[in-house]
Amino acid sequence: MKKFILRDRDLSLYSKILIVCLWIALSRIIDNEIILPTVTSTINGLGKIISNPEFLNILGYSILRSLFGFIISLSIAIVMGVLSRFSKFIYNLMVPVVKFLSSTPTIAIIILALIWLSNEIVPLFVGFIMVFPILYETVLKSILNIDNKILEMARVYNVNKIDVLKEIYLPSIFIGLSNILSSAMGINLKMVIAGEVLSQPKYAIGTNLQIQKIYLNTPGVFAWIIIILAIGKFFEYIMKGLVLCIRSKRYISPMEN
Amino acid sequence: MYKVQKIYKSYGELKVLNNIYLEFPKEKTTCILGPSGCGKTTLLNILAGLIPKDSGEIFGFEGDKSYIFQEDRLIPWKTVKENLEFVLKGKMDKNRAQEIIDNYLGLVNLEEYKYYYPKDLSGGMRQRINILRAFIYPSKLIIMDEPFKSLDINNKKILMDFFVDLREKDNKTCIMVTHDIEEAISLGHRIVILSEKPSKVKRILDLENYKDRFKLKEEINRELKNGMIVIPLNINT
Repeated sequence: MKKFILRDRDLSLYSKILIVCLWIALSRIIDNEIILPTVTSTINGLGKIISNPEFLNILGYSILRSLFGFIISLSIAIVMGVLSRFSKFIYNLMVPVVKFLSSTPTIAIIILALIWLSNEIVPLFVGFIMVFPILYETVLKSILNIDNKILEMARVYNVNKIDVLKEIYLPSIFIGLSNILSSAMGINLKMVIAGEVLSQPKYAIGTNLQIQKIYLNTPGVFAWIIIILAIGKFFEYIMKGLVLCIRSKRYISPMEN
Repeated sequence: MYKVQKIYKSYGELKVLNNIYLEFPKEKTTCILGPSGCGKTTLLNILAGLIPKDSGEIFGFEGDKSYIFQEDRLIPWKTVKENLEFVLKGKMDKNRAQEIIDNYLGLVNLEEYKYYYPKDLSGGMRQRINILRAFIYPSKLIIMDEPFKSLDINNKKILMDFFVDLREKDNKTCIMVTHDIEEAISLGHRIVILSEKPSKVKRILDLENYKDRFKLKEEINRELKNGMIVIPLNINT
């Protein structure tokens, strides 16, 4: 099993090296910084972006927007998921909402958001419309998958409803969410940045991407992409660490530890 | 005395329970025997308040009651201790609950498994925790739905002894559904035999009146096989 995991990592490393080699080769063949910048000019662009005194502000605001938006989406998904389980009315109310959010082209909703909302709120909203349906459906599915026999046991033993929620529902929701949490957070980050590109808040990665595009500074665009990938990876590690930490405390037996 | 009168229950057109009269003596074990699918579990679920009856009356079942299920029904992400704490929450303060859990686990030599998760225990061990949970719970009545059904012979013997030890300690009233005549004779003080669907009470046997276990077994066997004859009962209500 371990060998298999290592082999996977090796393959992934080879793939990354191959992409960089391909990039170097193509940029030499094309020889045009606007169409495909070289690795050197991208690194120079990265240096310039990082040395900008406002870099930390830009980075911080985008990360905060992404985190804040994700926490809002997650909280609403959990509350609505639990309510949908217990109320037929709310469940049926949510069906068209989720269908609308999942099937309407995102750009159409973004355009409406640009008309209705302030430019600081639009990125959060864009992230929300993308990840909320995923999170809500996962929460609902996790609740519906709870073993009815365990719930019946709690009922026979007259366990308080709040305790049932805390001790049965929430852990089941967490188990369901733990499988998709890091990918949902990645999607949220991408969508928040897309929202920033369109709504142009003062401090935002998306705003700066747009500026680089206007000046046809492709190395700058590439440099920002590298920064976004790094943030995405950072989020992924944080989420995986968090999930592992909680799981090891709650779900793994002392024998295995 | 726990008592049920004129209990009727149907699922759509299918009549399951038909005018059930029963009394369950306090601090005794009543075993309910009957053909497969005759509605024994339905009767238990009505007594436990898990499903509604169509009509009839139930006396004495209002308060807290424990239930030993066929499956262990332990919460997989909780340790043995946490599973036991879960049913005691709100019934007593935390220290008292802790004391009771430690006391019972010690009594049945299960302390070392206190922090184990259900997945790390064998089927027999999980069923022991299921039984222990019922005894730890502050109730006077324990309802049991074929608790030894899925166990092999060795584990069955161990768990039946385990059950008898706990029952003797606590003097609880037990109502048990079973398919196994031997099990009913070993554990019961009274045996109730139900007829084929729609079920009626066919025969009630108080075990203290039977000294010869072999004859008793023969008699129960005869009753169970002889599905067509219904012996009328005179129960003063």
